Amino acid sequence: MSNSVISVISRFLEEYTTTTPNKLKVVDSYLFYILLTGALQFLYCLLVGTFPFNSFLSGFISCVGAFILGVCLRIQINPQNKGDFLSISPERAFADFLFAHTVLHLVVMNFIG
Amino acid sequence: MERSRLFGLFVLSLALAGAQALTPAHYLSLPDVARLQNLLSQQFTGLDSAYYSVVGLSKLGATIPDHEGVCQFLKSQLDPMSIDSLFFAAETSQAISGCEIPVSNETRDILLAAVSEDSTMTQIHRAVSALSSLGLPLASQEVVGALTGRINKEDNVMAITLALQTAARLSQQTELGGILEEIEDLTARLDDLGGIYLQFEEGLEATALFVTAAYSLSDHVDMEPPLKEDQVIQLVNSIFSKKSWDSLAEAFSVASAAAALSNNRFHVPVIVSALGPATVSHSQPTLQLLVTDVMSQPLALANVLVESAYSVASKSVILSHASFTLNDGVFELNFMSSRPASGYYQFAVAVTGDTRLVGNHVELKVKVSTEVVVNNMDLSVVDKDQSIGTKTTRVDYPSKGKSSFTADSHQNFAMAFQLVDVNTGVELTPHQTFVKLHNQKTGQEVVFVAEPDSKNLYKFELDIGERKSEFNSISGTYSLHLIVGDATLENPILWNVADVVLKFVDEEAPVAIQPKTLYVPKPEIQHLFREPEKKPPTVVSNTFTALILSPLLLLLILWLKLGANISNFSFTPSTILFHVGHAAMLGLMYVYWTHLNMFQTLKYLAIIGSVTFLAGNRMLAQIAVKRIEKK
Repeated sequence: MSNSVISVISRFLEEYTTTTPNKLKVVDSYLFYILLTGALQFLYCLLVGTFPFNSFLSGFISCVGAFILGVCLRIQINPQNKGDFLSISPERAFADFLFAHTVLHLVVMNFIG
Repeated sequence: MERSRLFGLFVLSLALAGAQALTPAHYLSLPDVARLQNLLSQQFTGLDSAYYSVVGLSKLGATIPDHEGVCQFLKSQLDPMSIDSLFFAAETSQAISGCEIPVSNETRDILLAAVSEDSTMTQIHRAVSALSSLGLPLASQEVVGALTGRINKEDNVMAITLALQTAARLSQQTELGGILEEIEDLTARLDDLGGIYLQFEEGLEATALFVTAAYSLSDHVDMEPPLKEDQVIQLVNSIFSKKSWDSLAEAFSVASAAAALSNNRFHVPVIVSALGPATVSHSQPTLQLLVTDVMSQPLALANVLVESAYSVASKSVILSHASFTLNDGVFELNFMSSRPASGYYQFAVAVTGDTRLVGNHVELKVKVSTEVVVNNMDLSVVDKDQSIGTKTTRVDYPSKGKSSFTADSHQNFAMAFQLVDVNTGVELTPHQTFVKLHNQKTGQEVVFVAEPDSKNLYKFELDIGERKSEFNSISGTYSLHLIVGDATLENPILWNVADVVLKFVDEEAPVAIQPKTLYVPKPEIQHLFREPEKKPPTVVSNTFTALILSPLLLLLILWLKLGANISNFSFTPSTILFHVGHAAMLGLMYVYWTHLNMFQTLKYLAIIGSVTFLAGNRMLAQIAVKRIEKK
């Protein structure tokens, strides 16, 4: 059982490193960073406590929001999905990404306290 | 004295609420007049204060001391070139005897020149008054023309009042119809407050001066002013409700109004008040009334009579058309001669004798009081099953029963008595008839009410067994008191009738009754403030901060490994502007966290954002073009 899991994972990793274009890998590493940050924040909350709760929420929501926006960006600039996003160029996707991030940061900063 | 008069006024104003005809609620009592005179007798600070003081005092009928000194003051302060100065000096000199203000041709010319449509109303009024007081000739028709023209330009209350006052100084033959109509117009501008007060929103001074001017002009042309009786009384209420005056001018206006209302040809408001409390009894059988004008001066010709007097309780009429007799300035009526029963009576009093009298039907509430005596006080202890005959003891007021009575739970204690009017022998039912039992040892008091039966005989029965909870079942000697009281009784009674020994079954240990501890300090309340939450130690926080920042390091390493670079960076203005703007936005986020509020941030964000957007748009378009070209 574990054998097949390991083989699946290794195959996945191999395909990933060979087939994904560099641009997407850059975005993926950004997403991974966001994920780690969010996970560490959650760990702190679990271990030490929820004080101050509003700060924890704002930080965590910031990570979650950034992750989602990053995923959206990745989907939109992926050349394989070009058919689904005919009217949206990668530059347009990036501009949307920046604008959404501005709004997210505004909200997060308001709540961080 | 003043308090009893105030009480009389209060009763009057209570009657006012129910009465249809309005009667004055406020007037200048003798102390008020004295206070007004005092205010007007202050030292002169100038010609205007001299005018207000001297003319005001003369209107109140007070004597002005030192006419010579006043005249000297006027002559020394006079400025013959100023209309105001001439007005004050001229008017004041008329109020004192033997004072002549020197007049030159120039003075006359200045005053005559002021009479025109181009001067203010105040100037016209002062010039005309000065001319009239100094005995100089003036053209009345010209004045009327100037006044009419001025009224059109200055359409406020004070100006029109001055116009009325000015018109009263003109010759009798002048056509003053137009000016006279203004009285009615001004009356329409008065504000009615609750049906009791009528005044201008400009205030007391304006209202008082209007009344003075209206009556002055009406007397001059001998035409009744268009003021209804109720309106006159409402004006009286407004003008005389204020008992302390802010300025000399205000005091002067009140004095002028008081003089105008006591002494004009058409309306004289009447003030009827009781001298002392409106109470009669056998010791004081006469009801005394004071009938005066608004300045508390007794009316010369007045007949006072009671139109009807009826009992409030039984509504039967006791008196009809009885007149008061004038005795040394006070109107008296011997009410006790009509043999009224004790209680309250409503009097409808009318003052006649002068057609000018206003507010001369007054309702007055009069109390007839009497003395009471307790008759036939019989005490007895009755057995509940009536097997043993009753033994009645008669106790005479005010002595105490010789022996004490003993009663226990099988018995009733009974009391019977009569309350009788000393003078007439009629049985009375006062408001308060209580029987009080007072435990001498513990200080406990228990009070019961004695009720009269149909024959006005008072009976009280105490069922010892039934009432033991009121006594807390404490046996012992109780002193018995009878309490009788009423508003119409002159001698309330507190009579220790006898001592009663009560015996209760299952007695508790006699406990001294604590007075209610209402006013001792209460136990202190301990308030627990919300404790601040415990913060984790700084070490932990710092560790986790470093931990959180570590993925950033990882990200940079990963990007380097992937070969992410900025080799495509073109130094075009839009690119630089975009990056600067973007950095500024991030900086703004930080500043928002530390210093600003949302509104300021949004303002700055809008500015920076629009710049960044435009630059970014340009930059991304250029990148897109480059990308398509590369393909």
